[in-house]
Amino acid sequence: MADVTAKSDVQKEGEARVDAFRKDLGPFVVAAEKSRMPMVFADEEPGHPIIFANDAFLALTGYEREEVLAKSFQSLLAEGVDAETMPIVDAAFRGECENDPEVHCKRKDGSEFWAKMFVSPVCEEDGTVVQQFVSFVDQTKHQQDNAQCKMLIDELNHRVKNTLATVQSIVTQALRHPAEPAAIRQAIESRLMALSQSHDLLTSGNWEGAGLHDLVDTALHPFKVVAGHAERFTIVGDNVHLSPRTTLSLAIAFHELATNAVKYGAFSNDAGTIRIDWTVVEEESGNRVLIHWLERDGPKVTQPKGKGFGSWVLERGIAHELGGKVTLEYLTDGVACTIDIPISAGLAE
Amino acid sequence: MTGLLTGRRILVVEDEMLVLMNVEMVLEDLGCTAISAAGSVAEGLSLLAQQSFDAAILDVNLGEQKSYPVADKLTERGIPFVFSTGNGNHGDRSDLDDRPMLKKPYLTEGLITVFEQLIADMPMPTAA
Repeated sequence: MADVTAKSDVQKEGEARVDAFRKDLGPFVVAAEKSRMPMVFADEEPGHPIIFANDAFLALTGYEREEVLAKSFQSLLAEGVDAETMPIVDAAFRGECENDPEVHCKRKDGSEFWAKMFVSPVCEEDGTVVQQFVSFVDQTKHQQDNAQCKMLIDELNHRVKNTLATVQSIVTQALRHPAEPAAIRQAIESRLMALSQSHDLLTSGNWEGAGLHDLVDTALHPFKVVAGHAERFTIVGDNVHLSPRTTLSLAIAFHELATNAVKYGAFSNDAGTIRIDWTVVEEESGNRVLIHWLERDGPKVTQPKGKGFGSWVLERGIAHELGGKVTLEYLTDGVACTIDIPISAGLAE
Repeated sequence: MTGLLTGRRILVVEDEMLVLMNVEMVLEDLGCTAISAAGSVAEGLSLLAQQSFDAAILDVNLGEQKSYPVADKLTERGIPFVFSTGNGNHGDRSDLDDRPMLKKPYLTEGLITVFEQLIADMPMPTAA
């Protein structure tokens, strides 16, 4: 761009036209200057020198007024646009564009924006084009929204496919060992319900995570209501904030512990109780939460014969997915499970 | 009972625990007793630094990460592998397009067929 301090004759002539334009149009110029829509007037001659640029145009492009006045519109635009844009702009000035072109431009500082460009010729009475009026609608937000939308659809697709793979795993596992169809259906349904409820919990918190207390309440709710066991649960601990991933994994873990308790453990008789408590352990390497599940007064516990879905989730799955340590002990007095996992600090609101 | 993967060492890189469970079950049914699982790129690379494998299955997306550093290390070591993904293609890593790819959810038969192909040309390890 030419040095603005040393003015050529051409520039001086251009500026004289700018002044004349302002005088001619009077109050319209003031209105245009303050309009929120970026706009310029350019003379109808080679290069289309700009004779008017309003405040909104300067705000959009980042230029000072003296940097654009009397400059060729095309050359100003050419500072930043990509190769496809200039022929579109030239065609628009010739009136050969059927649709209003959307152009990709650069601001003075190099940052990029998309704008829809409206070019209208200003004609004299005999139809001779004397000026071009160009206005812009900044499409940056629109483009960003589109990009965001595409990203969300991709992410949604990814999650749906992973969820289907998870469901496949739940179904396959349930069919792995011989069992009554009713028992298979019950095993599959209750796990799907557990997954669904933890999704609801995360959705209510904008998928930013959930509180551990809320999670325990949600995961154990079906067991409290169905079996009338509410008073036999003791739950002690703060509403420690958990990531979405930790929330989903722990929800399955609690579901499996509670299912086992109803079938074989503390909730399989009328007297058993379950205590769930947790503490946050602060360490230099990061915080951890230490969760205890302890069953009491149920029937005498015997070691399970085989390893099923629940013990796999607890002993292998949680450790794998959350980088934690889980111990599951079938003590004679009741099942005891300790889950030790890393968490990011803080309490849920 | 001797199966397709008896005596083989398989690396599974997968961050979703229930998906991992399914893969492990299938591999165990094929006779594999040496399955190592990693849930992140760091874990995958660490396992590769410690031992050798006959084949691997890699989930492309591991949370915020892509498993490509593990894929590159496997390529360097000449260990055959298959990708699994819930998404479309490899984007700017089109050099990986010729690797087998299982799109989640996939059929158990599909997983078995891929492993049959992966280990077809691999000699059995001398120490099983």
